[in-house]
Amino acid sequence: MSRLGKAGWALFFLLLLVILIGPAIAPNTATHPVGPPYAPPSGRALLGTDHLGRDMLSRLLLGGRPLLLTSLAAAAAGTLAGSLTGLVAALSRRRLGAWLMRPLDAITAVPPILLLLLCLTALPNRTGLVIAVAITSAPLSARVARSAAAQVAGRAHVENAIARGENWSWLLGREILPLVAGPLLADFGIRFVAAVYLVAAAGFLGLGASDTDWGRLIVEALPGAALQPVALLAPVIGVAFLAVAANLASDRAAQNSRGLLA
Amino acid sequence: MRPVHPLLRHALSGLAGNVVLLAGLSFLVFVGVDLLPGDPITSRLGPTATPERIAAVRAELGLDQPVLTRYGDWLAGIVHGDLGRSAAGQPVTELLSGRVGNSILLACLATACLIPLSFGFGLAAARRRGRPADRAISTGSLLLLSVPEFVVAGFLVLILAIGLRLLPAVSLVPAGSSPVRHSEVLVLPVLSLLLVGLAYATRVIRAAAAGTLRAPYVEFLRLSGQSERTILRTAVVPAVLPVAVQIWLLTGVSMIGGAVLVEKVFGYPGIGELLVTSVQTGDLAVVQALVLVLGGATLAVLLIADLAMVLLTPRLRTGGGAE
Repeated sequence: MSRLGKAGWALFFLLLLVILIGPAIAPNTATHPVGPPYAPPSGRALLGTDHLGRDMLSRLLLGGRPLLLTSLAAAAAGTLAGSLTGLVAALSRRRLGAWLMRPLDAITAVPPILLLLLCLTALPNRTGLVIAVAITSAPLSARVARSAAAQVAGRAHVENAIARGENWSWLLGREILPLVAGPLLADFGIRFVAAVYLVAAAGFLGLGASDTDWGRLIVEALPGAALQPVALLAPVIGVAFLAVAANLASDRAAQNSRGLLA
Repeated sequence: MRPVHPLLRHALSGLAGNVVLLAGLSFLVFVGVDLLPGDPITSRLGPTATPERIAAVRAELGLDQPVLTRYGDWLAGIVHGDLGRSAAGQPVTELLSGRVGNSILLACLATACLIPLSFGFGLAAARRRGRPADRAISTGSLLLLSVPEFVVAGFLVLILAIGLRLLPAVSLVPAGSSPVRHSEVLVLPVLSLLLVGLAYATRVIRAAAAGTLRAPYVEFLRLSGQSERTILRTAVVPAVLPVAVQIWLLTGVSMIGGAVLVEKVFGYPGIGELLVTSVQTGDLAVVQALVLVLGGATLAVLLIADLAMVLLTPRLRTGGGAE
């Protein structure tokens, strides 16, 4: 597993680099036609062209960064909101903690993709996308944070701090957070994997992070897949690589962080 | 007084909890969406719409009423089996009829394939823990686990429909006909759903079986000379089954969600396709109804999974032990 994990991190960082500098090295714009529709790969368009004759390579390079950054923002927002709720629930009295967690349980009953669709119907833009993904990931983050913090909350140094009369921000920031940061970071990795999935799915529905979102490239390439399979293959491989690399990296991070709570 | 049967007790308390959760969910789906920033009317009519037009559409859809009044009306309708009307004025129940069956067919076929395959792979990997076969299965499922269903579907289209020309890339089902009569259109959607679910189920079943195989009582059976077959049948399978049934039911119900995108890839006439079209046209009423229906289905399956675990675990079934 460890070799696979290392390969995962290496692949992840390589992919990250390509995605981040992608818009700078794209040879063409996303909208400029460079050849006939569904042209096979050639010197002018290395991955061929799409149904409007636009350069697939440029569209792919331009679409990666919005996909990645939106996923990161959404995962960060979800983990932050969820962790805060979970930490407060763990530190507060039982009744209040249960009341904080109960609405979140109702959210987990809905498949994430449905919540995404619901939010995007009401708010069809990038903000809606970030909110939707954050809402789907917050309940699970809250559970992780609550159970991690519950193990720490009863320890002597925390009770000592409560007896000293320290305030909430001190308790959370100085007494609890340093001990639960590992599991929370590992949890963030898992939420990021889920966020990539959902953001790509939104792109697939035409409601994604940008006009050249990889999910959108897939759905645009499907009708002409028999004529220009490369146009479908490239974004399919892109999403699969990003998802697999993020999954392997987060799996390894989760294994490393397990020792921190001992 | 004779105590209530533990299964009945679980069923009743689970049912009560689910009704509360479903009520909470309906509130979140209706009122929560209303609280989101943005406005479905403006986004549907576009930025050029005049204020009069916006007000007219608003009144037509009943959106000028306070949100709690609308929620009450909506809820009352649902209790009577009326799921509301789409933006075009069609009743949602009418839109759903026919499509629900197609989607359930897809999920059931995929689950039916999932059960033997995941059990077989999971047990085989657990029995060969650390050896090449186990590593191949574990690595393969870890890689496949994170890939979205529609990406798997894209790969399958490329390989089976375009590369090998074995199957149709689009599920063309003539209107009024059932996909059962055109079984070749079912293969690719079912396969796409199956592969992702299989990865998850296999991993969980492998982990459960590997734990059981290392347990002292299995070691004892082995040392006392029982055959591998007997050990599997009497010790391993009963211990793994409660976990496996949970996973199968959960994966089966999550296929309803995953099917949304897969149906869109193949143009399969199920609820997923309806849902996607409604999202793209901003038809909030249809989306809200579908989310509530599918959320209710998920809760029901989770309850069944709970009861199955009680039935398959002797300690819980008889009400003895720590419970």
